[in-house]
Amino acid sequence: MTRVKTVKERKPSPLSRFMPDEMAKRDGAGAERTYVGEVVESSTTELIAEARELHGGPSFGQFIRIGADLPVLGIIYNVFTHSIEPNRRPTAYGKTEEELRLEQPQIFELLRTEFQALIIGYLDGGAPVQILPPQPVRIHSFVHLCTDKEVRAFTGNDDYLRSILNTYKVPTDELLIAVLRHTLRAHEHSRDYLVRMGKELSRLVGDDYDRLSSVIRRVAN
Amino acid sequence: MAKSKGNSATAKTRGEAIGVITKGSLVEGLEMKLDSAQNVEDMKAGKFVVIEGDKNDFFSMVTDMRLDANNQEVLLHPPGREDDILRKVLAGTSTYNIVSLRPMLMMPKGAVVDDGPRPVKAIPSHFSEVQEAMEHDVANIFGKEGDPEGRYFSIGNPLDMDTQVCLDMIRFAERSNGIFGKTGTGKSFLTRLALCGLIHYDKAVNLIFDMHNEYGFKAMKENGSSSTFVKGLKQLFGERVAIFSLDPQSTRARGVQADHEVYISYDQITVEDIAPLQDELKLNPTAVESAYLVYAIYKERWLRTLLALEGPDVEEFSREIGAHAGSLVALHRKLKRLENFPFMVSKLTDGDVVDRIMEYLDKGINVVLEFGQQTSMLCYLLVANIIARRIHEMYVKKSERFYATQRTEDQPRQLMITIEEAHKFLNPTAAKQTIFGTIAREMRKYYVSLLVVDQRPSSIDDEVLSQIGTRITALLNDEKDIQAVLTGVSGTDGLRSVLASLDSKQQALILGHAVPMPVVVKTRDYDTQFYKDMGCLDDLPEPERKAKIDKGTVALYGDN
Repeated sequence: MTRVKTVKERKPSPLSRFMPDEMAKRDGAGAERTYVGEVVESSTTELIAEARELHGGPSFGQFIRIGADLPVLGIIYNVFTHSIEPNRRPTAYGKTEEELRLEQPQIFELLRTEFQALIIGYLDGGAPVQILPPQPVRIHSFVHLCTDKEVRAFTGNDDYLRSILNTYKVPTDELLIAVLRHTLRAHEHSRDYLVRMGKELSRLVGDDYDRLSSVIRRVAN
Repeated sequence: MAKSKGNSATAKTRGEAIGVITKGSLVEGLEMKLDSAQNVEDMKAGKFVVIEGDKNDFFSMVTDMRLDANNQEVLLHPPGREDDILRKVLAGTSTYNIVSLRPMLMMPKGAVVDDGPRPVKAIPSHFSEVQEAMEHDVANIFGKEGDPEGRYFSIGNPLDMDTQVCLDMIRFAERSNGIFGKTGTGKSFLTRLALCGLIHYDKAVNLIFDMHNEYGFKAMKENGSSSTFVKGLKQLFGERVAIFSLDPQSTRARGVQADHEVYISYDQITVEDIAPLQDELKLNPTAVESAYLVYAIYKERWLRTLLALEGPDVEEFSREIGAHAGSLVALHRKLKRLENFPFMVSKLTDGDVVDRIMEYLDKGINVVLEFGQQTSMLCYLLVANIIARRIHEMYVKKSERFYATQRTEDQPRQLMITIEEAHKFLNPTAAKQTIFGTIAREMRKYYVSLLVVDQRPSSIDDEVLSQIGTRITALLNDEKDIQAVLTGVSGTDGLRSVLASLDSKQQALILGHAVPMPVVVKTRDYDTQFYKDMGCLDDLPEPERKAKIDKGTVALYGDN
């Protein structure tokens, strides 16, 4: 299971609510313990999940899988960190995170990272289905990152591009670029794949040559 | 149509898909959107493709292609050179290629083989797949060499394909044919190829007026700076070809012994033979009338009598016969040129050469008449006209006898007369006077047809052109010539561009009676393999060679 880079780089902190490395050691790295978050708000088209550890949410544009029976697939379109208390904002201390962790470790307990994901389909008996799931995911379901294999299976055709283009809440182009970069990595940076997706995209964006060329150029870089 | 189509229907394999039909009409042809994986540079004019419709397969020819874009933005801000991926993304989506196709024939799917392809009366539906033509598709249409009837003669390969395009030699022989092309594009080569086919498969006996001595024996192959020699008909077919020479000295000088030397006596020349020479001799219209006056009195001795006179006597002679003095003097002066020809004799010692030629033709021996050094147009016109006229007369008699008796042994052999620089014989004025105009028009009724070789088809009389069955055309640039070649062919819009874009070597467009659809071919190599295919004996081992010769002799003269 790949973990988000930030997780590995940070030093273990006794006060952190999530201590993945420690937990993994203790639990023997069970599959259910490798989740990156837990669903706290759910609807048919999107969900909000709380990251397992602070600043430990999945990256923008990454593919996630939620639940076990009828695993739902989604794309991260927003990650945010805020205070637990709706009415209290963190205060600026003028110190580095390092110093703060030594001097005032409790303030990190008052923060949490959440992420929003766009539902783009589900797995039926392991096979990807590019339509919205019949039921939204349950609250408290664990969120896992998709493996490269799952991403490849799901992005074999262009339907996920259409799902992204059809949402209006998010910076569509940026999300497209991020998602394409992730899928491209899963497809081992195959140029053919990029060209194929580019052609589909060209069809989806219609006459918008500027948009197409900007997306393609930024994905390819 | 094509009887040798083999078992292609059972093991049908399909060529690579290259695009889909997007629009078009029966009259204007179809348009295909080229698959983005295909390179537009592979779509050459004249290429052969198959459109797979729901009920029919349409055999079509690529006639034109076009670059298109759905968005002006793309054209205003084209992707940079280094933007390879974007270029690839755009290819086939925003920027795409349209290829114009001309459906030539259609073949119902799953049809019984004997049905054969039919003319196109329908068009395929939207998004019908277009595929590269496969070998069996081509064989389906053009037949395959080596059928038991000896009907199909491979003349070359379609563009970018490794399969044969065959001429139906039976159909080829039964009508007049034309071989056209700019000078240096391989007309003589194509002619030699067609003649080889006719002789090898014995579909017609040939009389060839070989103005430039290219067909009988060795001929030079133009090959850039270096020149090599290729075998002539005599070398390839031995006993089945006889060389007649107007200029035995020249023929000998080239290391060839002519089978027969040609002499023509003054008595063999009629006024009709002089009339077509008006241009060459610069005769005025009254000259021919004066000639008729002389002929009225002296009959076949008219020319001899006239030429025997010396200058001053002509005027007196004109008074005697009541002709206009000035006109007769001019005629006399101009006809004097004929005396310079070495082959003109006052008395024939060796029998009538036309009878001799006829004898050979009757035996099925092909006659090449070499002109040697006598390459003047005057000489060519005169001799070709005299001989062809007599041969034609004999053929008319023979055919009439056959019509009367209706016995197969009386049926004359199909004769094909090859003439070069044909526009001299067949231009609108000459076509009415020369025998060749008559032959071209009367066509097969009397078993005589023409093989017209010319570089200026636009000068040939329209009426004659429209009677030409099969046209084999190398590169032509002149709009008028292209127009002329396509006279009497329907749906020629696409062919025009094909014709103008042929390579200048070894490529030809074939259309007409002997092929089911127009096709561009890369002509067959005239090499050792070809010699062997034509049954040339030179390169065979001795015993095999002897056996073949014996067999040939028996076939020709009977057992004893």
